[in-house]
Amino acid sequence: MEDIAKETLIRASQGDMQAFEDVYKASSSFVYNVALRVVNNREDALEVAQEVFMIIHDKLKSFRFESSFKTWVYRITANYAINFAKKFSRSKTVPYEDALGEGAIVNEAQTRMDQEHQSQLIENLLAELNCDQRACVVLRNIQGLSYQEIAQALNININTVRSRLKRSREK
Amino acid sequence: MKKCDYFKDLILTDYIDGEVDKNLGQSVESHLLDCSDCRAFFKEVKDNTAIFPVPCSANVLRQQVPAVLWDTIKQSIEHKNQAAGPLADFIAHLKGLAFFPRMVPVLASLIVMLLAGSVAFNTIQIQQTRDKDQGEYLVSLLGPTGSLARVDNNGLGTSLEHYFL
Repeated sequence: MEDIAKETLIRASQGDMQAFEDVYKASSSFVYNVALRVVNNREDALEVAQEVFMIIHDKLKSFRFESSFKTWVYRITANYAINFAKKFSRSKTVPYEDALGEGAIVNEAQTRMDQEHQSQLIENLLAELNCDQRACVVLRNIQGLSYQEIAQALNININTVRSRLKRSREK
Repeated sequence: MKKCDYFKDLILTDYIDGEVDKNLGQSVESHLLDCSDCRAFFKEVKDNTAIFPVPCSANVLRQQVPAVLWDTIKQSIEHKNQAAGPLADFIAHLKGLAFFPRMVPVLASLIVMLLAGSVAFNTIQIQQTRDKDQGEYLVSLLGPTGSLARVDNNGLGTSLEHYFL
């Protein structure tokens, strides 16, 4: 997730739509991808991402800058996605074409095959995990968060992060 | 064997994720040099395609965000703002001006105030009791009659006065 200037966040919290769009641009990839991998369904991921940004928009006024904005967004996204997945457990496999989205540029056939293979592999792997394990794996392996950041985002102990990752990888 | 289990756990989590510090990393590496079983496990973990490469090649796994997402969010915010209207803005503004203390500090302050009040009340009561006792003691010194009226009338209120005069 890209860094966002404090001034931009303040302007966004005061209702400046341009500033909020900047916040969206910096964090939408993280929010959407975490949602997509946790709920494992494109329509649901869009719904989760939309709701997460509405929460960010509404609560930005009360954000006190005591913690990092990134951690705050990680927390909202991961928790909302996990709760959504638990509540509406209807995860379907994301068709690769859909999952690629509109902007993906894949020129070489070999690259495409490799990517398709890897993407399919990951989808199958994630489908075997429960929501909590999936969130840990997504935050670590796709978003590259440290164990400490994952623990803060999910509000769990760092050893719980370790054990969830271990169990996921043992499967 | 226990030692190997410990190192295997480390390999599967902290070591492969680059979360170990230099010393721990070195101890894993030196164990891998000595232990063929753990070396094979590490190779398996590294080679196994069923385990994510760490970190994953992000471009493959991070999907493009559909453009429709921002449009939907923007519409929802605008719709919400319109529905709220100027009255809601005014109320929100008033709320901003007013002081709404949080529950925890308020309760804590109340408890402190109650404790301080009860301590002060007890101190006053003790002081009053002490004053009363002192008064009774002084009265008892006036003599067996204990009458203050007699002191006022004759000026010989105490046994001490009787003795000298």
